[in-house]
Amino acid sequence: MKRELGLLHATMLGIGGAISAGVFVMLGYAVTLAGTTVVIALVLCGVINLFTMCSYAELGAALPKAGGEYTFSKVAYGGFVSFFTGWFEWLSNMFFAALSAVGFAYMIPYIIPVSMPLAAVAIVAIAVIAIFSAINIRGVKEAGTAEAIMIIVLLIILIAYILGGASNPKIEAFQLYAPEGILGVVKATAYIFTVYLGAEAVAVAQAEIKNPSKTIPRAILLSAAVLIVLYVLIAYVTLRVAPLERLSGESAPIIFAAEQALGKLGTVLLVIGGTIAALSSLNTSIMAQSRVAYALSRDGYFPKALLRIHPKFSTPHVAVVVGAIFTAVLAATGVVNFVGYATDFGFIIGFALVNLSLMKLRREKPLLDRPFKVPFYPFTPIAGIVTSVFLLIFIDVGVLSLGMVLCVLAVLAYYIRMVGYLRFRVAFGGISLGLGGFTAILAYLIASGFMPFNGVSPITITAIVLILLFASVIQIIAGLLNVTAKSRT
Amino acid sequence: MSIRRKISIVVGLAQSVIGAFATVFAFLLYHNFAELQVALNVPPKDVLLYMLILIVFGLLSIISGLFLVNEQ
Repeated sequence: MKRELGLLHATMLGIGGAISAGVFVMLGYAVTLAGTTVVIALVLCGVINLFTMCSYAELGAALPKAGGEYTFSKVAYGGFVSFFTGWFEWLSNMFFAALSAVGFAYMIPYIIPVSMPLAAVAIVAIAVIAIFSAINIRGVKEAGTAEAIMIIVLLIILIAYILGGASNPKIEAFQLYAPEGILGVVKATAYIFTVYLGAEAVAVAQAEIKNPSKTIPRAILLSAAVLIVLYVLIAYVTLRVAPLERLSGESAPIIFAAEQALGKLGTVLLVIGGTIAALSSLNTSIMAQSRVAYALSRDGYFPKALLRIHPKFSTPHVAVVVGAIFTAVLAATGVVNFVGYATDFGFIIGFALVNLSLMKLRREKPLLDRPFKVPFYPFTPIAGIVTSVFLLIFIDVGVLSLGMVLCVLAVLAYYIRMVGYLRFRVAFGGISLGLGGFTAILAYLIASGFMPFNGVSPITITAIVLILLFASVIQIIAGLLNVTAKSRT
Repeated sequence: MSIRRKISIVVGLAQSVIGAFATVFAFLLYHNFAELQVALNVPPKDVLLYMLILIVFGLLSIISGLFLVNEQ
């Protein structure tokens, strides 16, 4: 891969990775929790993010290879820990890309007066994923330039909103008010931290950044600082131009506040801003997932085909296409609504592991060339770990459960790689036998009336039982064939 | 081609198709296609659980079926 991204491109990747359509909708509930002290919550989130971004900056400058967190944990720990990190990084970026594509599709009716049924949402989501995948295959510089243009336009829109809102004659006095006290601020901090996630995309693309020892730490820290200033100013202006009680109930509070401050023009501008934010995070996520898949393939965890570099554009085109297919399926089928929330879990796990990797490498590889060093070591990475655990404690129970399921899948995927073909096949034979037994019991329970289907016609019940019995027989035969498999040849 | 190999291909294909149908069915149920939730008496609060079970069942079946089809 070629080093083609300069400081501007890299910084825009960081900002673009974090600013998503979520920024435009999350402030409402955060205001319900913390009132006007949501501004303090945003500063706290920014500082928490900065702790870990310092670790990213040190490791990114010292180990500027593709893969970001995955590469750091591979050098520090290797084995399962590095696979675990890469696995979550890969999945989180695909989920985030799918969420961004769907978010973009849902914003279209705000710009063009058309109805968007589910099928249209799916088609639009697939189309934007295809377009940005093509841009990413065309070249990292092209993807970086597209990102830089989108983020510059987005920043202009947001700055126009901030200046327009601040100069509004109807602006109200600002007073700190926390309806739930300190606990409310803490809850709001945990809730709204999501808006900072994604800025580590700089580290993922570090193999393509020019002069990495200087550019990577600068880009990471600059994007983290810009995000703090931007979010705090947006929240401050929003709280001053719109009544607090109205913000709590709004689905898109910033767009509502823009309408209060700048009239219809404000609504149009912020809707365009939201659309750009969705596209830029989609672009960054596609780039990030492909680089992580490339790195996992490089180390033998994923198929070697993902390691192919396009002869003309020097990009991992197979990794981009495979990730795009998964992302499109997630977005088009609606399954992203179910698993998309696990994105936060994956990113936060990544934060904790990056800080742990930094501390391990400081201890075990003191002579590693570190062009940038985390200030106040070891307090900064420890603060990063503690705050990551804190964020996991406050994460939604459903997200945590889904995260655990993904952990189990990570263990499964890792051992697929480690135990070899035959053992894995025998294991799947056992699973098939189990599924066959489960399906047969289910068929029996339905047929005997132990599992009632109230209001369902007897013909439908008979059809369900027959289908289940057929599936059961196939599963059992398949299980026996896999269990008794002798060798690969 | 041995009889075992032929059986493996047929059973593997059947298992993969069952898995694919289970996965597609999960999404049809989730989107309440043709009022499936009413037809099968599935309460809306349980739809995600049904979807999860069907997807896990479907994916495991597809992988297991592919092992049989690709046996060399």
